[in-house]
Amino acid sequence: MSRLRMAGSRLLGFFRKRRSEENLDAELSAHLHLLTEENIRRGMSPKEARHAARREFGGLEQTKDAYRERRGLPFVDTLVQDVRYGLRTLMRSPGFTAVAVLTLALGIGANTAIFSVIHAVLLRSLSFPEANRLVLIWATNTTNGELHDVASYPDFEDWKAQSKSFANVAAFTTRGAILTTEKQAERVSAVQASAEFFDTLGVQPELGRAFRSDEQQPGAGRVVLLSDLFWKRRFAHRPDVLGQTVRINEEAFTIIGVMPPGFEIPPGNSEQIYMPMVRDGNRNHGFLMVLGRCRRKVSISAAQAEMDLITRGLAAQFPRSDKAVGANVVPLTDAFLGPARTGLLLMLGVVTLVLLIACGNVASVMLARGASRQREMAVRAALGAGRQRLMRQLLTESVLLAFAGGTAGLLLAAWGTRLLVSLLARNFDIPRLGDTHTDLWVLGFTLLVSAAAGILFGILPALGAASADVNEGLRESSRSSTGNLRGQRIRSSLVVMETALALILLSGAGVLLKSLLVMRGTAPGFRTDNLLAVEFSLPRIKFAKTPERLRFFTSVLNRVEGIPGVRSAALVADLPLGGGEDGLGFHIVGRPDPSPSTSFQASFNIVSAGYFQTMGIPLHAGREFTEQDSVGTPGVVVVNDTAARRFWPGENPLGKQIILDAAQPPLTVVGVTGDVRQRSLGVPPKPEIYLDYLQPGPDWPWLVLVARTTEQPAKLAGTVKAVAASVDQDVPVLRTSTMDEILSSSLAQPSVYALLLGVFASLALALAAVGLYGIVSYAVTQRIHEMGIRMVLGAARGEILRLVLRRGMSLAFAGSLIGLGVALAARRVLAGMVHDAEASDPLAISAVTLLLLAVAFLASYLPARRAARVDPMVALRYE
Amino acid sequence: MNPPRGEVLQGTLDLIVLKTLDALGPLHGYGIAQRIQQVSEDLLKLNQGTLYPALLRLEQRGWITSKWGVSDNNRKAKYYSLTRSGRKQLATETETWERMAGIIARLLGAEGA
Repeated sequence: MSRLRMAGSRLLGFFRKRRSEENLDAELSAHLHLLTEENIRRGMSPKEARHAARREFGGLEQTKDAYRERRGLPFVDTLVQDVRYGLRTLMRSPGFTAVAVLTLALGIGANTAIFSVIHAVLLRSLSFPEANRLVLIWATNTTNGELHDVASYPDFEDWKAQSKSFANVAAFTTRGAILTTEKQAERVSAVQASAEFFDTLGVQPELGRAFRSDEQQPGAGRVVLLSDLFWKRRFAHRPDVLGQTVRINEEAFTIIGVMPPGFEIPPGNSEQIYMPMVRDGNRNHGFLMVLGRCRRKVSISAAQAEMDLITRGLAAQFPRSDKAVGANVVPLTDAFLGPARTGLLLMLGVVTLVLLIACGNVASVMLARGASRQREMAVRAALGAGRQRLMRQLLTESVLLAFAGGTAGLLLAAWGTRLLVSLLARNFDIPRLGDTHTDLWVLGFTLLVSAAAGILFGILPALGAASADVNEGLRESSRSSTGNLRGQRIRSSLVVMETALALILLSGAGVLLKSLLVMRGTAPGFRTDNLLAVEFSLPRIKFAKTPERLRFFTSVLNRVEGIPGVRSAALVADLPLGGGEDGLGFHIVGRPDPSPSTSFQASFNIVSAGYFQTMGIPLHAGREFTEQDSVGTPGVVVVNDTAARRFWPGENPLGKQIILDAAQPPLTVVGVTGDVRQRSLGVPPKPEIYLDYLQPGPDWPWLVLVARTTEQPAKLAGTVKAVAASVDQDVPVLRTSTMDEILSSSLAQPSVYALLLGVFASLALALAAVGLYGIVSYAVTQRIHEMGIRMVLGAARGEILRLVLRRGMSLAFAGSLIGLGVALAARRVLAGMVHDAEASDPLAISAVTLLLLAVAFLASYLPARRAARVDPMVALRYE
Repeated sequence: MNPPRGEVLQGTLDLIVLKTLDALGPLHGYGIAQRIQQVSEDLLKLNQGTLYPALLRLEQRGWITSKWGVSDNNRKAKYYSLTRSGRKQLATETETWERMAGIIARLLGAEGA
């Protein structure tokens, strides 16, 4: 009650300021008059009496101030006052203000841009109700350490039946499907799911119904749901879409429902269809992602513990299939966004460092200004301003400055974000990137960062100025006061910090750049020019059996070889630089296995005759596959150099035999070829064994056609497509690309990292150099008098030059040492982004250190030269 | 040589002002200051100015009210008087003070013995 009354009366006081100010004056002067009269009665002269009264009363202004503090809302009052005063102060020195605002705008803008992306991609929760309760339950393989494996249908059923942590469990896969219209066949994003799928996600169709569990029976489930975008693009949002049929994977499906807008899984695929999944009783066949909705108050770790128990039970019950199968429960958000997270958070860290450097610079300039404003502060302190009051005023000033920087930063970020998003979208597969925009969250973040930056760079100058001795401040000229010396020390440490931070960023950028250059210089092992790659998407039912696939690919191959402009063509399962790789174990005839339980391991690739010649992969020994190698002829393989060296060191591998499948006769090595970068340029070649696609061996779902052309390969893409359609018009061409395109896109991601880090590191270097230049030239200005004396006493110009240079360079060296230490300690962070190059690449790091020292030298040399050129007579007079 | 003048103990100013108004009825700030110095026989060091923020605080709490009036020398002056809740507050604070003083006295006595 009493508190409420207090608040009310203060609020009133705030608005009735003028009247109460008059009343206060009247009351206090009445008091003084009464006191004076009393003193006169005691026999003092009127003048004496007045003085005595003043003394007895104490500080009149201090009393008034204390009274005012109690009266209204002093916080708001002083804030308004401080803001006005701060704005005036900043306007008075437009140069300083402009530089500070620009510096901060760069730092804050970079943060805002990165945050906008992070907010869109990582922070906004998935668009499912209570999405934080959704988890993905991966199967794991305890033998090979795989943590994100697909589960088999029986395992999924047992998990669902035995677990109590989940309110609902569903299974799905995200295989594409082939949609056939009158005109053409095309591949669309499709989700095959168990009946609980939509319940688990907590989203119901906005039109029609979800599928039922009886529709999961083989042959029963010819029903499909559409996503909103699919409905819009292909059916123009027509409500009579329900009941219509579409041809998917060569079968007619009835549309039974449409999902609401925004429903997509995984995020980023908004044009998709949903079909019931058919049960597959094979416990060995993993193909499912299992989705769970945790019960309320069940933590991930509790769910994980329960799943561990269940999988152990299943391993005991079904040792043949489940001996090595575990479970890994991860939040759905992490599962979908995990890969993008590391890079984005790293970038946020990088721009935070840039902002710190910017803050260091502004703080440094503010300290210098603080020294020259010492007299102003002293005067204000003498007039009754308390220490806290002064600090608050200075902090208000710096926060104002930061807000101005933040506003400018928002403008920069609006532009930078667009650039960043288009750069990332072109080179990375990041879901929801397109949602990036400036919203209240981003504005709030910018506001917060600005305020934090303002306090960060304002606190030191404010402390320094407020603690200054009033008497000294009034008496002394600012030049020689001790507060200034301390300020100088603080500024020096700031510059050291900035240099260290800049070097950390530079070394990161240097290492990335070096590894990029190494990758660029790496020969892929084949000729990428004039090489076209065509990927097909085979309808699964029509091409369920190997002979059908063989027939299709053989006829396509034959017809493509006949196209004018195609010199040769071949087929391959895993295209080099394509990221794909199939590992298999095998035995070597006449040699024991490495251990009783393991066999020899190598990558396998399946190719057609003429593959090596078409790709331009050199043949080092023996022969490659020819038309004569076929089903009936003896099984043959070709190995790469690495495999030859690994498995037959010091021997001739030609004629040696291996066993892939105990039921088949052994395969003979007939050729040795050069190594090829199979996964990417950054990954060194592994032992690789090539099989002929016509001979029996591991099954392959599809092949890629490669064609060596005599002209621009892209020009032939259309012809190749038409030829393929003439073989079978139900087979859509998934993608045609030239090998040069594949090569450059395999460099794209490291390039983007290197580019971003390079840009931010250069920004950091520039800011740190400006900071160093600032402090050295300020020191020169401060000591110009001393320089004059030194010169008069006989110091040579060179000595002066060295004196100043030494000061700047010692700061730079100190910063570099610290920076190097941190960079080396933090190299593991980078290790995830560079493939084979060492994250602590000594060459790259020494190069950037030299660069930094060179820039630091320049930044100190300029003011040093000015100091050395000064006329001693002018310097001595300089005050 | 005068004995050293004590500072007004933190928090006791409220009690002193309330008690003064209780004893003397409505008074202006000068009157209160005079009275405090009289009673303390000048042993209490009080910057008279500090009285005013305190008066404002008491008024904001609702323990005293103020009215403009005319002083003895025909000047406009603000007169403060105790309210009902102020009287209650005085009772509580007196009690608290006496209890506190008793404790301190016992403590000091025990130490001396």
